[in-house]
Amino acid sequence: MDTCILTFSLLNGSDLLFAFVCLFVCLFFRYGLREFVVIAPAANNDAVLSESKCNLLLSSVSIALGNTGCQVPLFVQIHHKWRRMYVGECQGPGVRTDFEMVHLRKVPNQYTHLSGLLDIFKSKIGCPLTPLPPVSIAIRFTYVLQDWQQYFWPQQPPDIDALVGGEVGGLEFGKLPFGACEDPISELHLATTWPHLTEGIIVDNDVYSDLDPLQAPHWSVRVRKADNPQCLLGDFVTEFFKICRRKESTDEILGRSTFEEEGREIADISHALSKLTEPAPVPIHKLSVSNMVHTAKKKIRKHRGVEESPLNNDVLNTILLFLFPDATSEKPLDGTSSTDNNNPSSESEEYNLYNQFKSAPSDSLTYKLALCLCMINFYHGGLKGVAHLWQEFVLEMRFRWENNFLIPGLASGPPDLRCCLLHQKLQMLNCCIERKKARDEGRKTSPSDNVTNTYSGDAGKAGDQLGPDNLKDMDKEKGEVGKSWDSWSDSEEEFFECLSDTEELKGNGQEGGKKGGPKEMASLKPEGRLYQHGKLRLLHNGEPLYIPVTQEPAPMTEDLLEEQSEVLAKLGTSAEGAHLRARMQSACLLSDMESFKAANPGCFLEDFVRWYSPRDYIEEEVIDEKGNMVLKGELSARMKIPSNMWVEAWETAKPIPARRQRRLFDDTREAEKVLHYLAVQKPADLARHLLPCVIHAAVLKVKEEESLENISSVKKIIKQIISHSSKVLHFSNPEDKKLEEIIHQITNVEAVIARAAH
Amino acid sequence: MASATDSRYGQKESSDQNFDYMFKILIIGNSSVGKTSFLFRYADDSFTPAFVSTVGIDFKVKTIYRNDKRIKLQIWDTAGQERYRTITTAYYRGAMGFILMYDITNEESFNAVQDWSTQIKTYSWDNAQVLLVGNKCDMEDERVVSSERGRQLADHLGFEFFEASAKDNINVKQTFERLVDVICEKMSESLDTADPAVTGAKQGPQLTDQQAPPHQDCAC
Repeated sequence: MDTCILTFSLLNGSDLLFAFVCLFVCLFFRYGLREFVVIAPAANNDAVLSESKCNLLLSSVSIALGNTGCQVPLFVQIHHKWRRMYVGECQGPGVRTDFEMVHLRKVPNQYTHLSGLLDIFKSKIGCPLTPLPPVSIAIRFTYVLQDWQQYFWPQQPPDIDALVGGEVGGLEFGKLPFGACEDPISELHLATTWPHLTEGIIVDNDVYSDLDPLQAPHWSVRVRKADNPQCLLGDFVTEFFKICRRKESTDEILGRSTFEEEGREIADISHALSKLTEPAPVPIHKLSVSNMVHTAKKKIRKHRGVEESPLNNDVLNTILLFLFPDATSEKPLDGTSSTDNNNPSSESEEYNLYNQFKSAPSDSLTYKLALCLCMINFYHGGLKGVAHLWQEFVLEMRFRWENNFLIPGLASGPPDLRCCLLHQKLQMLNCCIERKKARDEGRKTSPSDNVTNTYSGDAGKAGDQLGPDNLKDMDKEKGEVGKSWDSWSDSEEEFFECLSDTEELKGNGQEGGKKGGPKEMASLKPEGRLYQHGKLRLLHNGEPLYIPVTQEPAPMTEDLLEEQSEVLAKLGTSAEGAHLRARMQSACLLSDMESFKAANPGCFLEDFVRWYSPRDYIEEEVIDEKGNMVLKGELSARMKIPSNMWVEAWETAKPIPARRQRRLFDDTREAEKVLHYLAVQKPADLARHLLPCVIHAAVLKVKEEESLENISSVKKIIKQIISHSSKVLHFSNPEDKKLEEIIHQITNVEAVIARAAH
Repeated sequence: MASATDSRYGQKESSDQNFDYMFKILIIGNSSVGKTSFLFRYADDSFTPAFVSTVGIDFKVKTIYRNDKRIKLQIWDTAGQERYRTITTAYYRGAMGFILMYDITNEESFNAVQDWSTQIKTYSWDNAQVLLVGNKCDMEDERVVSSERGRQLADHLGFEFFEASAKDNINVKQTFERLVDVICEKMSESLDTADPAVTGAKQGPQLTDQQAPPHQDCAC
C-alpha cells in the first residue's frame, strides 16, 4: 500500500483528493517512489520561497529522520505551488539519498535527446565500475493540447437582449440556466511510451532518432478538467445566496424614504376605498399590467428624479406578465390559480419536493418570483433590481387587495404550512381578498353567496342532503335579509355584518337571548340556514333540524400559529390554565352555537350536540309503560358536568346568524398585517425566504439535465443532495455553512454533467 | 409550543434548563375515544369517568428520562369533533409523534383511523412517528373492534399498535414510552446521515475525478 500523508488544509474532500492524485503522480514519476511523506504549505501565500528557509526545512527534515529512524523519504514542497517542486531526503542504515529537482527555463541542447541525458546521468552517479552496466530506460513523450480557443465551444453565451423576447437561449423567466460557461476540459494529453528499453538498442541523438511516436508500443490519453469551470446554475444560486448577507433595506437601496411613501400609500387606500363604494365597476382596461407598471414607475420617478430606475420597463413588464398572467386576459381577474401545462403532475415526486424543501410548488407564484429575482440579480441590476422588483411586487399585492382581485398561482384555502413562510403570507392575503370580495359582491347581489358556507364535517356527512326544499329555503332567505347588506360600512367594524334594521335585531337577537326559553324563542324567525339535516328533527317540536351557515375558523400562517400556541402554552398545565385555554378557544364554538340557535329557533343543547358532536348524545331503546319500544336519549355524562364549557357557551349564545356575528377572522386587519410584513422585508430577508425555492428549482434543473446524460453516479448524488437539503431547509434559520454546502454540491454536480455533455 | 419550523428535535430552549430535549406529541382521533382521559392517566395518573369535551386544543407536560437524557414531553390533546379539524391540523406540523386513537367499542371511530392517518400524512413532517392505540380495552363486553383488526390496520398503515385502557391503566405508560423510543431512534438515524461533513467527504471522489491511473504522466 502506498503511503502518503498530506498536510493540506482548507481544501474540501474533492479538491484534496485531486491534489493527492497529482502529488502522487508527480513524485512517483520524478523519483520512482511509492512511499513518501510530504510537507506542503497549506495556503498558496505560505509558499517557501527563500533559499535559507528551504535549507532550514531540509536540515530539520534531516534531523527528524535521523532521530526517528524513519526510512520513508520525506519531502518538502518549495517555491510556488504551481511549480510542483519537491525536494527531500531519505535515510537508511548507512545510506542517505537526497532528492532534488531543477526547473530550467530553457532546455540546453544536450538534454533534448537520449544520448545527452545518458551522458549526464552517468557523470552524475559517478559509478566506479567499468565497464558500466547497461542502463535501463523508460521513455515517454507527452503531447499536450491546451489552448483550443480557436475551436468552437457549443454553449452559447446567454443573449441578454433576446431575453425580453422571452424565448432565446433558455433564459426565459422561470427557467434556470445550466452548463459551463467555458470549456470544462482544460487540457488533453497524449502520451507515447516505451516502457522497457536498454541503452544501446536505440539511437536518439541531436541528428537522428529511432523514437518515432507512431511506433511506440504504448499510447495513452488523459483529459485534464478545468478545476472549477464556471457553471451558470451554480453561479446563479451562489449569487442569489449572497443577497442573504446584505444588510440594506429596500429603500436604502432604491434611495428614498419609506415613511414618505407609506404616508402617500395610506392616502391612496382611503381614496381607493371610497371609489369602491361607487356603483360603477372598475373598468377592466385600467387594470392591465402596463397600466399598473406605469403608475408605479411614475411614483418611483417622482422620488428619484431623473435617475433611471434599476429595471427597464420592458424587463419589468415581461416579469410582471409572467408572474401575473391573469392581468392580460380580458376577464379572468378572479385569479383562479393558473398552472403551467408543462409542470409535473401534482402527484409526482418532483412536484412534491416543496414539501421536503419547505419551498413552494413549482407552479406557484412564490416559486416563480424566486426565479425571477434570481435572474434579475444576475442579469438585470443585481441588488437594486431585486429591490425594485420586490417593491413592484408589494405594490401589486396591495393593488389586488384593494381591488378584490385574487392573487394567481396560489392554491386556494388556508396557508399551506408545508411551504415557506412567504408563500403562506401570500396565501393568507388571498384568503383575505377572497372574504372581502365575497362580502363586497354579496352586498351588491345576494347575501347567501356571501358567507363561505360549507365545511366538510359531521354536519355534512351523516346523510344530509341538499334537496330542492332546502334550496327553496335558501332562496327565501336571500330576499329576506337582502336589505341588511347595505349597511355594512367599514372593514374596521368588528362585525361580520351590521344590521341596519335595529327593529329586527331587537326582536330576534337580544330579547330572545334574555328570555332564553326555548318556548319563546321558537316563535322567532329562523335565520342563516344552510340546509336541512337529512334525519334529525328538533327534540321539542319535531321540526326539521337545520344546519346553519357558520363562520370559517381563521386561517393561520405558521408564525401566527406559533404565537398563538405560545400564548396557550404559557397558561400552564393547571386546571385553571386548561379552563382559560378552552375559554380562549371557545369563540368558534360560541359562534357555531349562535348560528345554530338562529337557524333552529327554540332548539336545545341536545339538538346542537346531536349535530355537532353526535357521540355526546346517547340514545337507548327503552320500553315505556304501555309496553312500546321507544328511543330515549340524553346528553353524555361529560356534557352534563355542571357549568362545563359547552353548557356555559350554550347559555351565553344568542340566536344570531353567522353574518351578523362578530367576525372570527378580521380579514382587513390580517391583510394589512401581511402587506406591512411584505413591505418591510429587506432584500436579504426576501432571499432567505426564497432560497429554498431557488434550491428546489436548481435541483429540478440538475435532475432534468442529468436525465439527458443518464449518469448513474450523479443520480445517486442528486438523491443525497435532496435528502441533505430537506434536512437543512426544515430548520427556520438554517446555518449559512450548511446552505453553502448544498449550493456547492449542486455546483459540483452541474460541472460533472457539463463535462459528460461535452 | 415552540415553532413548527425550529429544530425538529426540540433542542434545549435557553429559558428552560430542566431538560435536554423537548418532544411535541399530538393525540388525535374521533370525539369521545378517550384522548383526554388517556393523557390525564399518563401525566397525572388520574382517571375521571367524564372529562369536559375538549375545546380546540389543550396540553400537558411530562418529563421522562431516556438514555440519561431528560426529555420533556409536551403532549397536545385535541378536540375530536369534525368541526375542529382545521384548527387542530394546523398543529400537526410541529409534532414529532402522534398517538392516533380509536375506541374499541365504537366501530365508527375505528373506521375513521384511515382518515386520520391521511391527515397526518398531509399535514405533518414526513418523518413524524405514529402509534395506533385502541382505547377502552377494559370494556371487553362492549368490544366491537377485535385486536386482530386493529393490528392488521396498524400493519397496513405502518404504525405500531397498542390496545390500552386509560381507566384500568393498561399500556398507557408503555404507549408513550414506545413512542419516545421510536422518535429517539429516528432522531439518531437522521443525525447520523445529516452530518454534511461526512456526506460531503464521501461525495468528493465521485464528484470530481475518476482516479487517474498512476502509470500516466502528470502535466508538470
